Amino acid sequence: MQLHNRLRTTSSLVAGLAAIALVITGCASKGGGGGSTAATSGANGSPLIIGASVSLTGDFSDSGKAVQRGYQLWADTVNAKGGILGRKVQIKIVDDASSPTQVVTNYQNLINKDHVDLTFGPFSTLLTIPASQVAKRYGYAFLAPAGGGPDVFKQNLTNFFFVQPAPTTQSGDVFANWILSLSPADRPKTAAYAELDDPFSAPIAENIRTKFEAAGIQTVYKQVYPSETQDLSPVMAAIAAKHPDVIIGGTQSVDAYAQIKALVQLKYSPKFMFQSNGANSPLEYPNKVGAGNTTGVMSSADWFPGSKASGSDAFTADYTKKFGGTAQQVDDNSAEAYATGQLIEAVAAKTGKLDNATIISSLHSGSWPTVLGDLSWGANGAPTGEFNLVQWQGGKLLPVYPSGVSQAAPVFPKPNWGG
Amino acid sequence: MHALIQGIILGVLTAGVYALMASGQTLIFGIMKVVNLAQGAMVILGAYLSYQLFTSFGIDPLLAIPITTVAMFILGVAVQLLFLRPLKAEDRSELSLLVTFAVALLLEGIMSVTWKTSVRSINTGYANSSWTVFGYQITLVRLWAFLLSIAALLVLYLLLNRTRFGRAIRATVQNPESARLLGVESSRVSALGFGLGAATAAAAGSVYGLLYPFNSGSHYDLISRLLSIVLLGGLGSIGGAVVGALIVSTSSAVVASAISPSWSEMTFFVILLLVLLIRPQGLFGTTARGAI
Amino acid sequence: MSSRRYAGPLRGVVFFALLASLPSFNLAHWVLNILVFTLMYAVMSSSWNLVGGFAGYPSLGHAAFFGIGAYAMALWFQHHAIHSGYEPFLLLPLVGLLAAAIGLPVAVIAMRTRSDVFAIVTITLLFVTQTLAFNLRGLTNGAQGLSIAAPPFSAGTFERPFYYTLIVLLALAMGITFGVMRSKLGLSLAAVRADEDKARGIGVRVLGVKLLSFSVSVGLTAMVGGIWAYYEGFIYPQFAVDPLVTIAIVLMTFLGGRATLWGPVLGAFILETGQQTLAYSLGGSQFYLIAYAMVFLLVMLLMPRGIVPSIQDRLRQRRRRIEVDAGAPRPSSPRMTRSSDTRSSVPALKGHG
Repeated sequence: MQLHNRLRTTSSLVAGLAAIALVITGCASKGGGGGSTAATSGANGSPLIIGASVSLTGDFSDSGKAVQRGYQLWADTVNAKGGILGRKVQIKIVDDASSPTQVVTNYQNLINKDHVDLTFGPFSTLLTIPASQVAKRYGYAFLAPAGGGPDVFKQNLTNFFFVQPAPTTQSGDVFANWILSLSPADRPKTAAYAELDDPFSAPIAENIRTKFEAAGIQTVYKQVYPSETQDLSPVMAAIAAKHPDVIIGGTQSVDAYAQIKALVQLKYSPKFMFQSNGANSPLEYPNKVGAGNTTGVMSSADWFPGSKASGSDAFTADYTKKFGGTAQQVDDNSAEAYATGQLIEAVAAKTGKLDNATIISSLHSGSWPTVLGDLSWGANGAPTGEFNLVQWQGGKLLPVYPSGVSQAAPVFPKPNWGG
Repeated sequence: MHALIQGIILGVLTAGVYALMASGQTLIFGIMKVVNLAQGAMVILGAYLSYQLFTSFGIDPLLAIPITTVAMFILGVAVQLLFLRPLKAEDRSELSLLVTFAVALLLEGIMSVTWKTSVRSINTGYANSSWTVFGYQITLVRLWAFLLSIAALLVLYLLLNRTRFGRAIRATVQNPESARLLGVESSRVSALGFGLGAATAAAAGSVYGLLYPFNSGSHYDLISRLLSIVLLGGLGSIGGAVVGALIVSTSSAVVASAISPSWSEMTFFVILLLVLLIRPQGLFGTTARGAI
Repeated sequence: MSSRRYAGPLRGVVFFALLASLPSFNLAHWVLNILVFTLMYAVMSSSWNLVGGFAGYPSLGHAAFFGIGAYAMALWFQHHAIHSGYEPFLLLPLVGLLAAAIGLPVAVIAMRTRSDVFAIVTITLLFVTQTLAFNLRGLTNGAQGLSIAAPPFSAGTFERPFYYTLIVLLALAMGITFGVMRSKLGLSLAAVRADEDKARGIGVRVLGVKLLSFSVSVGLTAMVGGIWAYYEGFIYPQFAVDPLVTIAIVLMTFLGGRATLWGPVLGAFILETGQQTLAYSLGGSQFYLIAYAMVFLLVMLLMPRGIVPSIQDRLRQRRRRIEVDAGAPRPSSPRMTRSSDTRSSVPALKGHG
């Protein structure tokens, strides 16, 4: 998949030829018309321009578009209330086509060419570090709704804030905590791990494994597979042969579906099944693995329909009104993007200012209410909260743990496939 | 041992669909001496067409094959006439790589616009059925895909060996000069041959869509595998493509089962490198273009 | 004719003087940033041209050496601190030598094949390198990637060290190309491209010539990889060893004109600036893939040998027409030179510059 991802962006890299004419005309028109944002920004009444680079082409384009919807929904909501501090919000989204070179150019352009007031982070998770370095160089706060791997936090960027409850690699910890909260008789004795070789997938499963092994849950099988693996049946067959009580998938999306498909074909249903990503996609997952096969599968999520977090009801209502569908179909990427906007709004409401230095210093202290719950950060931008455990029950994805947010009791052992 | 045999079963069953894709590509090379980098994109287009027929009209991919192959045959002829025929003969081998790559991008762009980029799969009623034979798992969909591919290859074989058109193609592959002397119009054979390669891709696409989820960018993964298969077997040799597909699929499935999926792609690349260095024309290739 | 003899070097001096003076015009950071990426590709396509253009070996594996350079840089600075910020630039010659040394045995093996088989052998090597970057976790940190400390340059002049270093590399690459075109080596390469067996027959040391051009070419490519890694600050296997990089280099060279001095540079300036600007300004419209492919096809069909050779043909024809009109003795048939020059004719090569 990564080859394919990367190659997929050929589209943009080679797009240059088509560009020749466009660039010439584009430059000319820009010289004539634009360029006014820089001079007037900062003045009250002028629009507040927020720039973000998102992958709108390529494999992540669906999630990228969900992020775009979240930003736009937030901007529309704020503007309907008269804007922030009297300034209307404008979101400028540009496409990086998942290229590390393009993302640097995009933030350079947003900051130094279009002089945006604020920057939000890219959606493509692998591009966060180069992008946040550019933002830091020019003193911009960098609020990123995706890409919270450990390496990002190792950069010790003071301008960086990851807008999720916890670093991505700890998103599965809530599952481990729930398992370890069970009585010893109910706990699984053996575990198998199938992990996608990706900085945001395998480490989630590895963190769970560390906790399980410390608690005496025996690892009977572990395999890391590369993202271009089309066929997971060899891996899942090897797992089924070991009869583990719990299977932990460090998954991204397509591989999560492939794991379930292979297990269904193998007719092996473990007592507990956790998948870090993919399984928490309310629309795609039942569509891809078959609704009957979802029952009992667990995953983690920061936002879910019916959440009681700050502004979540309004978010859900506005979202379904603007984009249609039901609350069950709201993508959590949209919620994360929306939360990013909420933070800016909250800082402005508290301090009466909107400059980058204020945003950076404000967010480093206290906790901030969003649709994802209350968020707070360490000095390196790592959030200090926890994800929620969600489980498929009766065709719906419901929060089941921790008890503060749960809407249903966790079901275990997992029913057989198809039931 | 169990893992090894399971890997071999899986590899052989998967080899069918790759043999089908590769036979189209190797055929195009044989006729025109063009390495068609758009073959993967054509396969994916075939998969999309099949997907559309299945979701809109409930047509099973098996029944969709006659429809998609005809459509893609026409497309293939059009591509050859529009983009490949105008190339000068002396530039053809190098430029055709770039031109077919551009065709791949064009198809990818059209597919991205038409079907978006989210991953699709053809979920038939039998998608998850499987049997266990002597402790080895065989999935119905894989067996079905294998049989479909074999059937399509058989049709291709009959077409090449039992028809006038097929004889003209084979004559062109073996010796373009004498074929022309015998009255075979090489430009017509080229156009129809490219169409036939595209039709093969369409059939393979229908089968591929049954087996794996795909999106418009999936053709990049395919093309690197296809190139390995046709080079391993020998460019221009359909029998070689079948053997190449068997080697590539089986070796990667066995390594994935017995060692780790992380090394499975590497395995056949290394096999390919070794074969090419010892025998640059591939296992069954007759002429080694570009070899010393 | 002596004035024309110096036109080439003069053009080069003007070009580099202009490039070097650009930052002093107080260009915006975003312009310099695009120039940095453009120069990277200009160096790489000029280097690729030595093998793919002059020797006629269409390598698709150059991105593997780009990745080797990036990883060499990142790995070295896992264990060594960056103080002034200039240490990585000082390390570049070593990175280049390392890659050239790795390139030698690769060339010995891969260059036993030719044409498309060589192209596919080299792209296979690229995939093998990428797989190794993913799987040798102890060395490369696998999919988790490697970081390099951010350069401590001030924001105001941040791009300049990268920019000037790349100008030096471009001068080196073009200087080597120029030297090759004016020397016996150029003739030898052209002979190899035209017919390797015949070249061997007339006493060209085929193996030596091929190995030399390949190592120099991949050494330069690896140095760019090292600079790229430092500029980005973080590398992942799929970005450092990226077939996309290879494809871009090849396209740029083909667009500008293979086996010419200015073709690859022109190709890089058009494609890289075009792509960087287009992706930013047009954003995620899927249609640009279609538009791109269409233009790409048109260029291939109308100007199959690239921009520079096509323009040179026009100029040469016009000059001849003027000479003919003026009653000057007509040299050989213009048709002949036109159809043969980049493909096989040795004398035609010397006319570029």
